[in-house]
Amino acid sequence: MVTFAIARQTVEDMLRRKILLILLIVGVCLIALGPSLGFLTPRESSAVLRSLGLAVILIAGLLITVISGIQVIPTEIERRTIYTVLSKPVQRYQFVLGKFLGGIMTVFVMIVAMGIVFLGVLFWHEKVFAPDMLKGVLMTFCQMMLLGALTIFFSTFAPPVVNFFMSFGLFIVGNLSTVTESLTENRNPVTAIMATIVHYTIPNFGNFNIQNKLIHPEIVIKNEMVFLTQNVVYAVLYSAVLLVLAILVFDKREV
Amino acid sequence: MSAATRRRLLLAIVPLFAAVVMLQARQNPVIREMRGRERTPLIGLSTEFILGPMLGLGQAVAGLLWVRADEFFHEGDYDAILPLVRMITWLDPHQLDVYITGAWHLAYNFTDSGHRSDRRYIPPAQALLREGFHNNPTVYDIAFELGWQNSDKVRNFHEAEQWFREATVRSTTDEQGRKQPPPMFTWHQLAHSLARQGLIDESIATWRHVLSLTDAQLKEARERNDPQAWSLANVRANQLHNLTLTLKRKFSRFTHEIDFVVDGKQTKSIDMQTGRPSPPNAYLATRPNEGVPIGQPRLPALAREWETAFDARVTFPEPMVMEPRGDFAMGDGARVTIRLHDYDWRPTQLEEFTFRVDQTQTIMIDQHSVRNYAWGRTIDMSRDPKMYSFTRPEYFLVFEFDPRGTSPFIQDRTGWCGEGMTDRRFLVVKRQSNPNSPPVRLIRKVFRLTRDHILNGAPVTDADIVPNADYSRIMGEVVLSPTRRAGLAP
Amino acid sequence: MAVALSIQGLTKKYLDVWNKEEITAVDDLTLEVEEGEIFGFLGRNGAGKTTTIKMLLGLIFPTSGTASVLGKPMGDTEAKSQLSYLPENPYFYENMSGWDVLDFYGRLFRMGEPTRTQRIEKCLNDVRLDKRAWRRPLRGYSKGMLQRIGIAQSLLNDPKLLFLDEPTSGLDPIAHAELRDIIRDVGKQGKTVFLSSHQLPDVELVCNRAAIIHRGKLLTSGPLSELTSGDKVEVLAESVPDDAVEQIRALCPAVERSNGRVRVTAVDPGQVNDIVDIVRGRKGSVTAVLPHKRTLEEVFVDTVLRAGGD
Repeated sequence: MVTFAIARQTVEDMLRRKILLILLIVGVCLIALGPSLGFLTPRESSAVLRSLGLAVILIAGLLITVISGIQVIPTEIERRTIYTVLSKPVQRYQFVLGKFLGGIMTVFVMIVAMGIVFLGVLFWHEKVFAPDMLKGVLMTFCQMMLLGALTIFFSTFAPPVVNFFMSFGLFIVGNLSTVTESLTENRNPVTAIMATIVHYTIPNFGNFNIQNKLIHPEIVIKNEMVFLTQNVVYAVLYSAVLLVLAILVFDKREV
Repeated sequence: MSAATRRRLLLAIVPLFAAVVMLQARQNPVIREMRGRERTPLIGLSTEFILGPMLGLGQAVAGLLWVRADEFFHEGDYDAILPLVRMITWLDPHQLDVYITGAWHLAYNFTDSGHRSDRRYIPPAQALLREGFHNNPTVYDIAFELGWQNSDKVRNFHEAEQWFREATVRSTTDEQGRKQPPPMFTWHQLAHSLARQGLIDESIATWRHVLSLTDAQLKEARERNDPQAWSLANVRANQLHNLTLTLKRKFSRFTHEIDFVVDGKQTKSIDMQTGRPSPPNAYLATRPNEGVPIGQPRLPALAREWETAFDARVTFPEPMVMEPRGDFAMGDGARVTIRLHDYDWRPTQLEEFTFRVDQTQTIMIDQHSVRNYAWGRTIDMSRDPKMYSFTRPEYFLVFEFDPRGTSPFIQDRTGWCGEGMTDRRFLVVKRQSNPNSPPVRLIRKVFRLTRDHILNGAPVTDADIVPNADYSRIMGEVVLSPTRRAGLAP
Repeated sequence: MAVALSIQGLTKKYLDVWNKEEITAVDDLTLEVEEGEIFGFLGRNGAGKTTTIKMLLGLIFPTSGTASVLGKPMGDTEAKSQLSYLPENPYFYENMSGWDVLDFYGRLFRMGEPTRTQRIEKCLNDVRLDKRAWRRPLRGYSKGMLQRIGIAQSLLNDPKLLFLDEPTSGLDPIAHAELRDIIRDVGKQGKTVFLSSHQLPDVELVCNRAAIIHRGKLLTSGPLSELTSGDKVEVLAESVPDDAVEQIRALCPAVERSNGRVRVTAVDPGQVNDIVDIVRGRKGSVTAVLPHKRTLEEVFVDTVLRAGGD
């Protein structure tokens, strides 16, 4: 209940931030403008529409996640609101979990809002309901959950600017998971070992990039549901690891 | 939090993380399968470009960049296009136009001041296309482009044939997003590439096959009252023309006139099975000076052996300015290929695409048309030291006539593979890479040059001539002993 | 009487990263506060008052020493449900209304409905916050209104022990006086108040006991009456002739005259009889003989100066 109260308060506070509102409006506008960008490649306007929609949701989600993730705990400390919270009968782990849940619920609300507009635009433009695109939206959300857990973990010890670069850097490296995976078979043993360590220890954000598959239906993968489910489980488990670490660090943190 | 709780939490990370690693191991093959076809190496791409795809814009950014590339093209800034091409194909490995146009720029638009294209960029162009083909294996477009480059630019008709074949078995997408068979011209080019290798029967069979495909489509279109029927009928007429022409040539290649005469009137009718005149009593009309009597039906045979009396000489009046001159007893419009290349240059394929070419390599190819039995004009390489660095100690200068790539009206004299052509001094009979093709007879004279010749104008003499057998051995060609006549005659 | 707060040898050292110097913010502090007391915790800015409170609440961790808060170790959740904290210059979630902030804090205290609503209403009334402001976002609040919300949130759980850190700083005189009254009311309800302040008149008005901390060290502590009591005596007299005044001045130099009145501050109680004798001998009248009481300010300045403050 305490955790949820903190999460709820975080969501309400976030949703009142202008920057997030602006991101949401820009995202929705870009998605809505999608059909008019079809002229870029007349033969593949539906592919442009789909890729643009998924890309906008990803970028807006990314910005929202990073902005809220890196701020959520430091702001409380900087503005000393955390004193009034932690001096109440609140365990520190409840505070961390509440802040994480609040942040990720905010991202969820934003992504769902943009997802609805996206599906609406697709339906209006092509007269087909495209449930496949929901898979892309779900994967984006899982990606953001993992990124959110990462930024929360960093925010327990790093200032926001440092956190931004660390989270973003890891997001980029994690997105290159196909590269790190191919490097694990490198002929140079040092490279191979380094790549193996990197590939398995850093969060592999690249796992969730299924946009190309969704846009180009000729790419078929076996057991798609298993693949997607495992991605969700991966995001949940890895987030759990990061949150445990965050709790351990924050427990010793002086505020 | 008590120390015990902290310890328990720390321990909890171990199984959690183990599960994460196991999951990753399970996902790896699926992701590899999903992305396997998108093999697009990052080599040669600056790191700042990697941020774009990280931002997830993917196709959207790629589309915008392609608009920008188009602006560069109209400004003639081809060099600016290539990094964009690399970036776009990395962002979106399914943009066919980008591979095709990028490869076209590479192979055709980098030229010296005499509009000779920079041959060093042909392996990268082809590697880019092969990468595009690898990333888009279901559509015909890139395979066709590979065939076209090999046919038009590289003049490797066997390679071209294989790519055109790949194109014919792939599909295209119509405006409604439905899969459609590839356009008819993929088959046409396949038939042409077969004929260029001297595989006339295969070429005729291909024309017949595409004609039957067109007939079926035309029937269907007429039933649907599809306005496309009109253009299909045009296509069909062209195919029929090409089939007829090939049949006639097979039957009587080495006459200049391929109309037949029945009762003193010309007819274009032939037996569509054999290419013989139809009705059978029709005869070929030829001019008297060709040496074939009028009014006699003929079997397909060489008119006569044609001595080309080829020769080539070269001087360097100024550093890097070459004046080749030569004789060639071949009709006006035949083209002699002049190839100046490093002694260690070989035609190669790049395994992976890269913009970087060996800047120290020199390879110049030009073609000079024959006029009044002579050919040759100045080739000035001094204004393009970047293309022609001349850093090697020795070079081969090759003057060559290969009948396979020449115009049909010259082929009427030489045959598809030089069957009707001979030369006292410079004939080379070479095995083609396609084992089904007849050997090609070509005319070739090779000099070995040094920097002293090219840069200091030292005279090129007969002592610098490389025997054709030696050159063939160096270039890894399989040559047969030259005979005066190829075996088409009965 | 039970002990609400007991501090033994509490020490907090920071490492100044830039100067590679160890700074002792709180130095071996030992202190007890009994239940029901309004305890004044005095010190200059940076004396270590806030650091001490943050340690007691478990927000930061002591280098050494222990303390028990309501019988529990520092930062204990159970203890925290019975105490409250008003930080110095508090800042609340500015996008939320006063009501919503209190509602959020009520949830943190695990208060269910309808208790939560009732408590919020009571506290907002107790701190005399204008009812029209209850549902307005905090970013529109004045400093005094924010401070009322701060007090309200510290009363929300009906705590046994309140930590108030500089509750009156930066307020206008009327808000200041009102807030002081509120704190006094709180004390009257039998709650223990740990009031950190350098507003000495406030402390003097509301506190029973006080301690003075300087550079992390406890200088003195005790009941307010003990701290302010002095060993001097004042003699007030009227109609004293000039030569008599000079006579007194010769005895004791601290003599003030105005409108015929004379005020003598005697250091030695033995002098009082002599002074009274002189006045009475010259037909003057002694109006009062008073023990001289020091203000807290005097005590504070005196103590700090003696400790080497500057």
